[in-house]
Amino acid sequence: MSETENNLVKVTVDGQAVEVAPGTTIMQACEEAGAEIPRFCYHERLSVAGNCRMCLVEVENAPKPVASCAMPVAPDMVVSTTSETVKTAREGVMEFLLINHPLDCPICDQGGECDLQDQALGFGGDASRFDDNKRAVENKNMGPLVKTIMTRCIHCTRCVRFAQEVAGVPEIGAIGRGEDTEITTYLEASLDSEMSGNVIDLCPVGALTSRPYAFTARPWELRKTETIDVMDALGSNIRVDMRGREAMRIMPRNHDDVNEEWLSDKSRFVWDGLNTQRLDRPFIRQNGKLTPASWDAAFDLVESKLKGKGAATAAIAGDLVCAEGQFALKGLMDALASPHVDCRQDGAKISGPRGNYIFNASIAGIEEADALLLIGSNPRLEAPVLNARIRKRYLMGDFPIVAIGEAVDLTYKAEFIGAGADTLADLLAGKQSFADTLKNAKNPMIIVGQGALTREDGAAVLAAAIELAAKTGASFNMLHTAAARVAGLDLGLVPGEGGHDVAGIQDAAQSGTIENVIFYGADEIAGASLGDAFVVYIGSHGDRGAHRADVILPAAAYTEKQATYVNTEGRAQMTEQAATPPGEAREDWKIFRALSARLDVTLPYDNLAALRAAMYEAVPHLAQLDDVIAADAPVAPPHDGLGAEAFTYAVNDFYFTNPIARASAIMADCAKAKNEPKNRGDSSEGTGTDG
Amino acid sequence: MMRFLKMLFTWWHHQTLSTLLHTRRRGKLMGVDGQGNCYYEDKHGASINGKTRRWVLYNGDIETTRISPEWHGWMHYTVDETPDQAAYVKRDWMKPGQINMTGTKDAHKPAGMADTTGYADGYDAWTPK
Ligand code: SF4
Ligand code: FES
Repeated sequence: MSETENNLVKVTVDGQAVEVAPGTTIMQACEEAGAEIPRFCYHERLSVAGNCRMCLVEVENAPKPVASCAMPVAPDMVVSTTSETVKTAREGVMEFLLINHPLDCPICDQGGECDLQDQALGFGGDASRFDDNKRAVENKNMGPLVKTIMTRCIHCTRCVRFAQEVAGVPEIGAIGRGEDTEITTYLEASLDSEMSGNVIDLCPVGALTSRPYAFTARPWELRKTETIDVMDALGSNIRVDMRGREAMRIMPRNHDDVNEEWLSDKSRFVWDGLNTQRLDRPFIRQNGKLTPASWDAAFDLVESKLKGKGAATAAIAGDLVCAEGQFALKGLMDALASPHVDCRQDGAKISGPRGNYIFNASIAGIEEADALLLIGSNPRLEAPVLNARIRKRYLMGDFPIVAIGEAVDLTYKAEFIGAGADTLADLLAGKQSFADTLKNAKNPMIIVGQGALTREDGAAVLAAAIELAAKTGASFNMLHTAAARVAGLDLGLVPGEGGHDVAGIQDAAQSGTIENVIFYGADEIAGASLGDAFVVYIGSHGDRGAHRADVILPAAAYTEKQATYVNTEGRAQMTEQAATPPGEAREDWKIFRALSARLDVTLPYDNLAALRAAMYEAVPHLAQLDDVIAADAPVAPPHDGLGAEAFTYAVNDFYFTNPIARASAIMADCAKAKNEPKNRGDSSEGTGTDG
Repeated sequence: MMRFLKMLFTWWHHQTLSTLLHTRRRGKLMGVDGQGNCYYEDKHGASINGKTRRWVLYNGDIETTRISPEWHGWMHYTVDETPDQAAYVKRDWMKPGQINMTGTKDAHKPAGMADTTGYADGYDAWTPK
């Protein structure tokens, strides 16, 4: 028997004996025994507050009922969760909570998914004994995403604890005592966090609800599809709620190794972008103007330009595209004998084996790290949920964090020891004391951001980071910003023998050696840089790429296809289809397949299963969904020496990083709120009882 | 033969055989409406819940909303006089009866229903500048 097993504490819950580790709370022990305890303030991922008292249970020999979420078990404790005392106690707590809770469920957005509503069904009285006036609380301004109806608040303080502990923005707090307690943001400023939407999920009542979703739907009329997010390279697990063809909201799903149960605001609120600016029919450019056309006419035009011009055709894959589409694109370009393919539209100088471009330590691995070096990465904007993981590790203590780049607020304490590549060179040469810290740490981590790789000397930065990792025994981790990137690199969408990369393609297009460019969801490239090239745009939204295009072939967005995405740690995950592509739009791979037939280089598959079989044969680990497959050790690529300029970060406009976000009016509102000075917000909205 | 079997076992295309036999034996024809539906009363006064039994043989699909408005009151025991007996007059402001459209494409859709929201088909298409 191991040590811990010997130390187990025996407790009896409702006559059933269970053995739990010492230090377990009574609530957890009860759950172990299968007894469900009602609660409002307790939350697994937040600290224990013990202030709602809904979780009262009876403990033998205790003078009065105890709050089970805050009380650790003691040996031979006898707990009852079903006794008359417990029932009366819970009913009492419920009655007190309802004293000041408005009875406005019919006009409350939480209706149907409200903890208070559910638990009042079990423990509420049938009539009120309260004859006085209910209190009313002024609503607070929490920005464009979180709507507040503070009269409904039951002061569980989950939102306060979330802001302080997870988001790292201590801007929500409670003021006043007793009946006058109010939850408020300091100085009525909106929440300065990229994760503020999570308080909506946490709030057990309807005090904090989603402002953009307000009064648009009820939970029971929505069709829910569990899928994967693509707004950053984290691959957060999400649920998309649809009504008919319209996306109504996006919620996080739990995945302990990826996003826990959090979601960044961009991923959560981008849904209105899925309903606007959609490409729903093919377009061709006639007399300088894009005009709607049939698929046949569009294909005719592409055929007339591309046929026999394979080697003068280049392809660039964008940030949100799926593995299946990229595989088909690569297949098409191979068949056309063109080596000019690139999936790094930002121009990042990434090369080498798989270990060179994934987050090798895994996201959950951050919690085991004991020193961290950030190179040209601002994880707060590049992957807010991953940043929360770093903060979680930081709060555990003993975690020196050093960053190279422009000093920014990361929500935890990080020392910025330099701005550019010269500091990296110093570290490598051992001239910086942090090099020793890394060396002496057991589990050090180095995270490299895309901002450090898109520069002239990107390859040198990559090489230096890899050498530093090898020298100090640190894990090498790359933080991507594009959901499509790792799959693209896995599938080899990089220039072949004599092929041009993104910059090369632009030059060649200007000089005329490249005549045709296929933009597959690529929207971050200035249209003018392609000279007179004939541009075929394949994508879902009318954005920069579509404006430059000569032919537009409408494709599916990430919620409209069952497709594979590989996140920054190399975890392959599959999205599910929540809606059909709009109008005449088609799934991406089908477009490439149809195009290949027109160009007489027919791809050898005509259904998704056959395509996947071929793809899995080429890259076997894509078939292992939800697994992180360890990559070989990184190898420093060849380079021409480090430059000296300061690093810039890959993400500056957090709310506008991709075509879907740029189409979203909610994202535009967020950006506007962010840029406004933090003045007193408009709280003239009333108290929530105004209907 | 098929028609005969259908008459025996299915009730939704036409009256079943037993209803026809019952009508032959006990029915007293009270009147026929504009669509050809025939309204009957039990000729021996047999009653259900203290009321003389009344029934209708539809001329075509069995669909209760096909009962003509003028006969509706009599069928539902609201009045005891048939339209003929009551000298029913159709005023020009009375609309003709209409059958229930639920489940068909003509079903009523109030403004603001899911698929009649601002977006055509639930999305907003891009148009080039
Ligand atoms: S606003 Fe919601 S989450 Fe915050 S304290 Fe009130 S009830 Fe709890
Ligand atoms: S859940 Fe225990 S006091 Fe709130």
